[in-house]
Amino acid sequence: MENNEPKIACFMCNFAFCQTEMRIPSNTSIARVNCIGRIDPVLILEMLEKGADAVMLVGCKPPDCHYIEGNSQAEITVKVLKKLMCLAGLEPERLKLLWYSPIDKKSFSSYTKEYTEEMRKLVLSPIKKAVSESPLMINILAAKNVASEFRLRVLLGREKELTESVNVYGEKIPIEEFNSLLEEIVASEFVQQKIHVLTQTKPLSIKTLSEAVGMKPATVLRQIVNMRRRNMMTLDHIEGTTPFYKALEVK
Amino acid sequence: MAKNNDTNVKRQLPPCRTACPAHVNVQGYVSLIQKGKFRDAVEIIRKDMPFPAICGRVCFSPCEDACARTNVDQAVAIRALKRLVADIEREQGRVKSKPVPNKSNEKVAIIGAGPAGLTAAYELAKLGYPVTVFERMSELGGMMRYCIPDFRLEKFVVANEIAYIKDLGVEIKTGAEFGKDVTLESLRKEGYKAIFIAIGAQLGMKLNVPGEDLEGVINAVDFLRDVALGKHVDVGDRVAVVGGGNSAIDAARTAKKRGAKEVMILYRRSREEMPALPHEVAEAERDGVKLYFLVAPKQIIGENGKVKAIECLRMRLGEPDESGRRRPIPISFSEHQYEVDTVIPALGQVAEPECIPKELLDMKARVPSMKVDPVTLETETPGVFAGGDIATGPASIIEAVGAGKRAAVSIHLYLTGQDLRSGRDEGIEETTWVKNWDSLSKKERRYEPPSAKPRLSFEEAARYLESIRRKAMFEAFRCLGCGPCAECLANLDLCEGDKAIVDEDLCIGCNVCAVVCPFEAVKKNEDGVAQVNEDLCKGCGICAARCPERAITMKKLTDEQIESLALATAGGK
Repeated sequence: MENNEPKIACFMCNFAFCQTEMRIPSNTSIARVNCIGRIDPVLILEMLEKGADAVMLVGCKPPDCHYIEGNSQAEITVKVLKKLMCLAGLEPERLKLLWYSPIDKKSFSSYTKEYTEEMRKLVLSPIKKAVSESPLMINILAAKNVASEFRLRVLLGREKELTESVNVYGEKIPIEEFNSLLEEIVASEFVQQKIHVLTQTKPLSIKTLSEAVGMKPATVLRQIVNMRRRNMMTLDHIEGTTPFYKALEVK
Repeated sequence: MAKNNDTNVKRQLPPCRTACPAHVNVQGYVSLIQKGKFRDAVEIIRKDMPFPAICGRVCFSPCEDACARTNVDQAVAIRALKRLVADIEREQGRVKSKPVPNKSNEKVAIIGAGPAGLTAAYELAKLGYPVTVFERMSELGGMMRYCIPDFRLEKFVVANEIAYIKDLGVEIKTGAEFGKDVTLESLRKEGYKAIFIAIGAQLGMKLNVPGEDLEGVINAVDFLRDVALGKHVDVGDRVAVVGGGNSAIDAARTAKKRGAKEVMILYRRSREEMPALPHEVAEAERDGVKLYFLVAPKQIIGENGKVKAIECLRMRLGEPDESGRRRPIPISFSEHQYEVDTVIPALGQVAEPECIPKELLDMKARVPSMKVDPVTLETETPGVFAGGDIATGPASIIEAVGAGKRAAVSIHLYLTGQDLRSGRDEGIEETTWVKNWDSLSKKERRYEPPSAKPRLSFEEAARYLESIRRKAMFEAFRCLGCGPCAECLANLDLCEGDKAIVDEDLCIGCNVCAVVCPFEAVKKNEDGVAQVNEDLCKGCGICAARCPERAITMKKLTDEQIESLALATAGGK
């Protein structure tokens, strides 16, 4: 049954980590970092891609962060990643943010046990069975690209600035508005990145693309127009009346 | 020891460490206690001073007064934590220090085995100097051993910490009185290249009222010393202690424990002005000591050459004097008497003038003291240094420790022929990162240090130890870690020198890093490229996680390393 044990990759804030106080279950690996805010969203997706069934971020409960706002940065990362995981077809429960401190009444191992139970219900990560060309792998690759994409990262970095203090025009964006904006951007970026990944190997028509991403051809076309403007795509050739598009190397 | 030889660069330290005269790395050991690493915590304390258990008991803890947590709720119970870790270490078997081999032939003599002298010996021995300590009394420790009663500071605790210093290879000569058995000339003849005088202030100050020579008047210092030496001291039924400092409280409590039925403390100001530690005063009251405020003795009335009563005047408080406390003014015709058998004046101590070599005596000072440079502790005679109570007047253990460290630095610089003023404490600057105190969560101090050791079975004892450990860790977690870096050495593998590096070719100047940095360590320069101020960067890596162009990497813990760490067991399809 060893193989069916969900594997949990755990990133842990150094200040929540305490060697003497913790028994670490065998299915969990811990990578200590200086601050949980240090975890790049891409890194988490990479862990999932490389076979972890679940990823846990363990940090200090706000507002007690050694680096003042590292834990709230981690919260933002998790918020966006859950959205991305939904889009990519992974259960968002596979990512968990846990506030922990060695002086908690509940031990770390009981937290992990609970989480392991939860993960057992989800069975194993579908990625394990997926082959490299499967739609899921393409989704993950696209999600990774989204996470490393400029627009999203600027938004993530500036979330606190935009929603908590006023900008140069004296405006303050309400958090709801920001969240809906973020959702919109994540969704459209994901489609674009997916198209980009799909067309990297061979040129594809809008029809095949719309089937692959599960969207109306008109929406796909709009995204492709946007992508051409961003220098992500180019027209490869035309077969009859059907244009075929090919991804361009970014940068 | 000062690390920085460039006086222009200031070491940034948290408030607790700046406030401590010995600059003990408070934030460091508290953060180690957070992790449950109690032994390492003691080691960190020992780096800065040799008396963790002693200071854990009797220090007046300036660190707690300075603690940044006071702006949120209450200070972290630093002293109690220090005591706990030191006690646990001792209970689990004394840690033996390894003798440091002599690296230098230049012998150093230290006169007086009090906190200042022993600290200097400790620091110099660590540097590899052959050190000899000369002590007049038969036991080492000075005031720590002879004037702090056993119920506040157990003798075996003092002995234990001194044994640690001895084990470093410090030579000890007891029964050698300065001025009689050893003099500056004799020491020089024996080949000592540097001499540190730390003989302290051993003489109790007099009341200067009529009747002070009567039988039954005994100075607090002499009283406490006689008790510590095991001499028979009869205090009678009623005792009056005059003064409001810690030694007054100590003398009063000792008298009470020696069987006096009624012990009163007469203090000429009010409770607020008392220099004694508040919790010590509370303890004394619990012991049944009575406190009388705003009274000062006018004369001691005797009968057949023995004390019969003490006549006092009532006082009122006037304008603040040079010490900042309100000056007591006697009220005329307010004389009243207390019938007592013993009067213990506890007004503070002065140095014994006959012990100080005449050429070093400060003639201008009000009380006998030595003329020394306040920074280097040098006297006018080259190679002779003086510090502690002898130079600064009666103070505390931790100040004496600070003086001992200063002297050790000076002597080291002197013997290596360097400028005595380089690498000094003056290059220390107080810093905290906290800008908004209201944003921090409140956690009231609930820590109560374990008092008496209960008798328990093995299983119970394990549980008991676990509970004290948890309590201490909980208390340590109240520390904000407000300093730039704790230098706790706990996670050196991770944090030491982990700074953000910007790849200037990749940076597009979007300024996200500057926005996310909690410490304002990253800023855009004139070229529009982000630049890291390494002094401010604490290595959290938030900027690296947020940089849109992934132009920022961390020096030590790169993304690839984190990934390989996390994959170590969970990875693989």
